[in-house]
Amino acid sequence: MIEKIKASTSEKIIFIFILILGLFSLTSFLLIKDRCLFVKNYDPEKIKFEDPSNIAILNVGCGNVIIELYPEISPNGVERFKTLIKSKSYDDVAFHRVIKDKLVQAGDLEFGKKGNIDYGKIGTGKSGLGSINSEIDKEFDFSKGSVGLARTQQYDTEDSQFFIILQDEPLYEGEFTPIGKVIYGIKVLEKIKYLDKSEYVLRPDFINSLRLFN
Amino acid sequence: MKLFKLILLCLFLFSNAYANTIYELIKIPHLEIYNIKTENKLRYLYAKQPFTIGVDNNINCFNSTKKDLEKKYLIIEKNLSRYPKDFLKKINLKYIVLCEDLSISGIGTAGIPDNVMKTLIVDIKFNKKYFERVLHHEVFHIINDSYREIFNEKIWSSFNPLGFNYAECSTCTKKIGLDTYLKTNGFITEYSRSTASEDMAEVFSHLMYGNLPEEIDPILKKKIEFIKRGISKIDKNFIL
Repeated sequence: MIEKIKASTSEKIIFIFILILGLFSLTSFLLIKDRCLFVKNYDPEKIKFEDPSNIAILNVGCGNVIIELYPEISPNGVERFKTLIKSKSYDDVAFHRVIKDKLVQAGDLEFGKKGNIDYGKIGTGKSGLGSINSEIDKEFDFSKGSVGLARTQQYDTEDSQFFIILQDEPLYEGEFTPIGKVIYGIKVLEKIKYLDKSEYVLRPDFINSLRLFN
Repeated sequence: MKLFKLILLCLFLFSNAYANTIYELIKIPHLEIYNIKTENKLRYLYAKQPFTIGVDNNINCFNSTKKDLEKKYLIIEKNLSRYPKDFLKKINLKYIVLCEDLSISGIGTAGIPDNVMKTLIVDIKFNKKYFERVLHHEVFHIINDSYREIFNEKIWSSFNPLGFNYAECSTCTKKIGLDTYLKTNGFITEYSRSTASEDMAEVFSHLMYGNLPEEIDPILKKKIEFIKRGISKIDKNFIL
């Protein structure tokens, strides 16, 4: 005959504690795994813009990033950006250079496309439309969220690559061509994949789409 | 209190605000912003720690005390504010790095210009007597490096007395005196005799600093005109 053994109070407490601990661990794991949790995804249709023709919607893993473009500050830079957006050239292009809390950079159309990434050359690719001149003479406050065109060490080498800064960078004024500023969704960019030991990201995140609002 | 001091010290030691951005832009480590809100858009940076750069790490400079920086910054800014923003853009000068005991391959120097990186490194402890004039001398090297075709050394050398030859390089000679000659005879200082480029820089710096000798010989007169013409080719609005 099997005698039923009753759990003592202390055993019950330990059991409940282990159960709570297990639940807590599982919840934490799920929360940590979902990096987009607590990141607000803005719907541009629900926002009223002053000048909708100069709004670009960058869609990435965690949601939308809404960028206001400044053609009055850098007409050629914004025109190039819009041309490439209209041709959907930025879709599936990698955020190949990401520095935590500093900047994200994308737009290498030649070596940064999903399925065709060349890690040896990424960051050096071109659009095929040629370089444009730097537009750096007008005053611009490179505060967090500013969008600029990337270039080589030389001026007048801007093409398709762009960066968005995640902190204020006053020294960028006069160095880089500013084309706009993130007005909603900067937190989405803070979730872009980065590496601790390198600016260049292996198996990077990609732009889902980049479209003009109007 | 001790703990508070320790925390404060740690923050001071490990704060690297903008240091990475500066390195990204001009490839000099351990710099911080001193002042970037200037009328002519010159950006003044200072060494927070000693740095070593250049081929085979042959350029060294050390950090200064806050007091020294404050004192010398006023002098440097006063002199360099005479170059308008547009002119500075044309000559490719944007960053002024303040440090002390600057040397290149072990030889002390007042400044190291780099027009590619748009940077002039200035030794704030360099010779007090000539400090202000030397700033303009170094600016000229930036100008010269950006406009070699305007400041043609063959044409310049043709102004010199027959039979005169410059040294192979500015550090290949012992002619390094910076006192302005009373009797010029084609050269404004002893250092002018070192190389054509240093000769031009000496004339330019005297023009900028406004301490040309009272009597100017015909050769020096030609040299002065040459420099003035060259500068006006770069920017006709910048009058020497």
